[in-house]
Amino acid sequence: MSWNGLTPMAKIEVVVDGDLVAAVRDLFLEAGATGYTGLSGVSGFGHHGQHQARLLFNDRASLSMLITVVPKDKVDGLVAGIRRLLEDRHGVFFVSETHVSRPDYFS
Amino acid sequence: MDDHAPRRHTDLLADIARAASIVAPQWPLTNVVAVNPLGGLQHLPFEEAAALARRWLGARTHPTLAAFRAAYDRGAITDADLRRAIVDVDWRLATRPGIEAGGTTLAAVELIRIDLLAGPDEPDRQSSDPGTQASSILPAVDELVAGWCAAFVDEAHVPWPMPHRDEGFYAAWRHLASSDRRLRRLAGRRGMRWLTDLPVRAVGGLAVALDTLGTGPEARVDALRGQLGRLPGWAGYARWHDEWAPFDHDGPAFRLVDLLAVQAAVTAAVALGNGARPSPPPAQPAPDDDLLGRRVAAVCSVLGVSSDDADVARGVREVLALVPPAARPAMWLEAHEGNVRDRLLGLLTRLDPGPTTERPQVQAVFCIDVRSEGLRRHLEACGSYETLGFAGFFGVPMRWRPMGSTAPQARCPVLVTPDHEVAERPQAADDPRRFLATRRTNRSASDAFHAAKGGLGSPFVLAEASGWLLGPLAALRTLAPDVTRQAGRWGRSLARAPRTFAAVDAAADPASGLALEERILFAEAILTTLGLRRFGRVVVLCGHASANRNNPHASAYDCGACGGAPGGASARTAAAILNDLDVRAGLAERGFDLPDDTWFVAAEHDTVSDRVTVLDRGTVPASHDTLVAGFARDVEAAGERLAQERARRLPGDPARVRARGQDWAQIRPEWGLAGNAAFVIGPRSVTQHLDLACRVFLHSYEAEADPDGVALETILTAPLVVAQWISAQYYFSTVDPDRFGAGDKLLHNPVGGVGVVLGEGGDLRVGLPLQAVTVGDRQVHEPLRLLAVVQAPLERTETIIQSNRVLRELVDGGWIRIAGRSHGDEPWSLRGSAGTWASWRPADDRFDQAVASLEVS
Repeated sequence: MSWNGLTPMAKIEVVVDGDLVAAVRDLFLEAGATGYTGLSGVSGFGHHGQHQARLLFNDRASLSMLITVVPKDKVDGLVAGIRRLLEDRHGVFFVSETHVSRPDYFS
Repeated sequence: MDDHAPRRHTDLLADIARAASIVAPQWPLTNVVAVNPLGGLQHLPFEEAAALARRWLGARTHPTLAAFRAAYDRGAITDADLRRAIVDVDWRLATRPGIEAGGTTLAAVELIRIDLLAGPDEPDRQSSDPGTQASSILPAVDELVAGWCAAFVDEAHVPWPMPHRDEGFYAAWRHLASSDRRLRRLAGRRGMRWLTDLPVRAVGGLAVALDTLGTGPEARVDALRGQLGRLPGWAGYARWHDEWAPFDHDGPAFRLVDLLAVQAAVTAAVALGNGARPSPPPAQPAPDDDLLGRRVAAVCSVLGVSSDDADVARGVREVLALVPPAARPAMWLEAHEGNVRDRLLGLLTRLDPGPTTERPQVQAVFCIDVRSEGLRRHLEACGSYETLGFAGFFGVPMRWRPMGSTAPQARCPVLVTPDHEVAERPQAADDPRRFLATRRTNRSASDAFHAAKGGLGSPFVLAEASGWLLGPLAALRTLAPDVTRQAGRWGRSLARAPRTFAAVDAAADPASGLALEERILFAEAILTTLGLRRFGRVVVLCGHASANRNNPHASAYDCGACGGAPGGASARTAAAILNDLDVRAGLAERGFDLPDDTWFVAAEHDTVSDRVTVLDRGTVPASHDTLVAGFARDVEAAGERLAQERARRLPGDPARVRARGQDWAQIRPEWGLAGNAAFVIGPRSVTQHLDLACRVFLHSYEAEADPDGVALETILTAPLVVAQWISAQYYFSTVDPDRFGAGDKLLHNPVGGVGVVLGEGGDLRVGLPLQAVTVGDRQVHEPLRLLAVVQAPLERTETIIQSNRVLRELVDGGWIRIAGRSHGDEPWSLRGSAGTWASWRPADDRFDQAVASLEVS
């Protein structure tokens, strides 16, 4: 589906422990992503219980969310890496379709 | 193997991240930070993580049975401790039927206790080396790769940088590998030809090398762990680079993928050159089938029955088979920890009278560091001082820029990324130009001297030109360190240092400080976390540092809460914020009743000499000068008493204990945090008048002042976590000084400002030097997991544990033990693994808390 000339892409959101942020960032870049957005201090509740948000003097203990947008042909490689990374660690990821106005930024 | 259109290797990068969990990040020498060597495995229970470390690092993870038995012989572990620990490790053993032997019934717990005391030890250590044909080349490969690592890294601006290093380690090595004679000798023509075709990118090179070694995707994590286990020190430094290096770090990029690529490529090339079969993934060593038989024989011998008595031997075997070899040291460790826990909780079992209502004249806030406990105790004995404990960065995460410096340094726990920079500025009345010019000249001379030392021919000229001066000077520094110290002080006094201040107000100095709202926020956080509601006329904020010389690990003795740096700057900054009238007004709006006549004073405790220096003395109002002078006098007396106390624990001349830091040949300037065992969170009234032998971190906490639990959550998720890293570093450096410790200090050779190697090369050494935890064969540090003791409503403590994953993993996984009580008039409880709390009872009913002591026995 094309919305008003927007280009379809894939959005990948990954929620992981703070110590895995660098690894996910490397996976994004290796898969060919041209950038990403990181949100630290993510709170919530899920399979592994409650997760507190930002702590006063510990930036590493809370969850982080990393978001990237890539052309669809790069999704398989990225998903394979993230799946493998999370085989023995906590974490979830979501893949969804999104649309962008400047596709050259993401390819 | 052209990779103009590079193949993507996301799955391989993921495997690297998974494999890397077996090594801990290693900070460079400029800021030695204590880390748990098994920190990457903290999501696993302690014993599972220990098993992985034994497998992949070939490391010992518990004291030997012989060491435990020696502690038992000294009385540091009792039979009662053992009986309780056996059941604590495996509760099923409490109800296991015993056996009949010699007309009596012996309970299963007793049989296991006998096995722990008299049974044979397990094989010394397991190894990640599978002992295959290919493994015979690995030591030479590791030596070669370690040499390249040492040539590449640079945290100290080495005079001869490795060419191409701005392209990364793998790329730089790939450029130069063909000229490596040792590699050519090992790899032969075939191996060297294979190397020339390696892809440009490190991840591609690693993929090709692993393919050549026959390592498929399913075996990759194990293979990578095997590689990392061979050079865990260099791998740890690479992890620091990948995950912890500051964004403006200017050293060459030493990444884990580069290290693994070089390691795998050299291994493959050498294997090809030798015709060795590709290395299979490391396998678990075969279990020692005979051990159980020998354990049975030993227990039967103690019982006075023959192991040929089939019924008895079978019964003993069935019981002992329930306790696998790895569970035996776990039981011993549990017993030892239980003994120390009983002693500490015995000391703390008394009615907490709570704080006094009378306004103190002087309050002194010290770092939570165990070394502060002694100083606080002796200071309180000198007069009516109220002392408190707080993480030594005093709640202001910042980058500190000393006067004249262009390189600010983080002064906060490494868990925090500082957002603010605070600069040291000269007072308006003082002209710093002469001082700064003199210092620049001295530094230029020093740089020129060191550059000459590192040159190719210049050392010969340097020796001729300066040997007549440097030789006698070296002799003087060895034989009379006090004289050289005084001469240095005299030299510095020629250009008098200007009086300075911490520029905390960003409105007045755009290049430094914090906005008013941020200053108020930090001030509020400090007072709330301390639970400070009643203020003296003088409140001293005392950081700490360790002035010792010629010591690559010097920063390991500095303040851990300041990221392995001296704590004086943090104390100055916090005091400046809390003395700021605008901040005071903001605090008043937030309900803090800070009297107008309260003045915050910064100080720094030198933990080698136990001397305390009052900082920014010139800014103290005349109205408070008498109180500050009295504090300075009393804290000097307290330091003298503490130094005498420490002298009893240190080898060497007790009369020279305060001068050890000046001695450039001193391998043990102080004990640092050796002996640390517990972390008490509560009001000082819980621990006051007790001698805790400098073994306990003390963090002030007033539950009544923290109804929403925010302060307690901050303490449990930051200072306690840092203390656990310290505790774990001391633990593992003691139980395996070769694998987790830095080894013998006498053999240390610093490399590029990054770390030390033993002798001429090899792996970077992690952890603490042998001399930091032992004297000769005697262990000075008792390896124990940290015990946290919390006086706060148990429901509040439990809620915080449940809400924070890191804390939950530490506590549920047995990395930290927690005891608590809701109020000062209640008995202590212990937290079980399932979040249940049970009343504490000593293992021995005859336990006499009146004579309990925390001295290392």
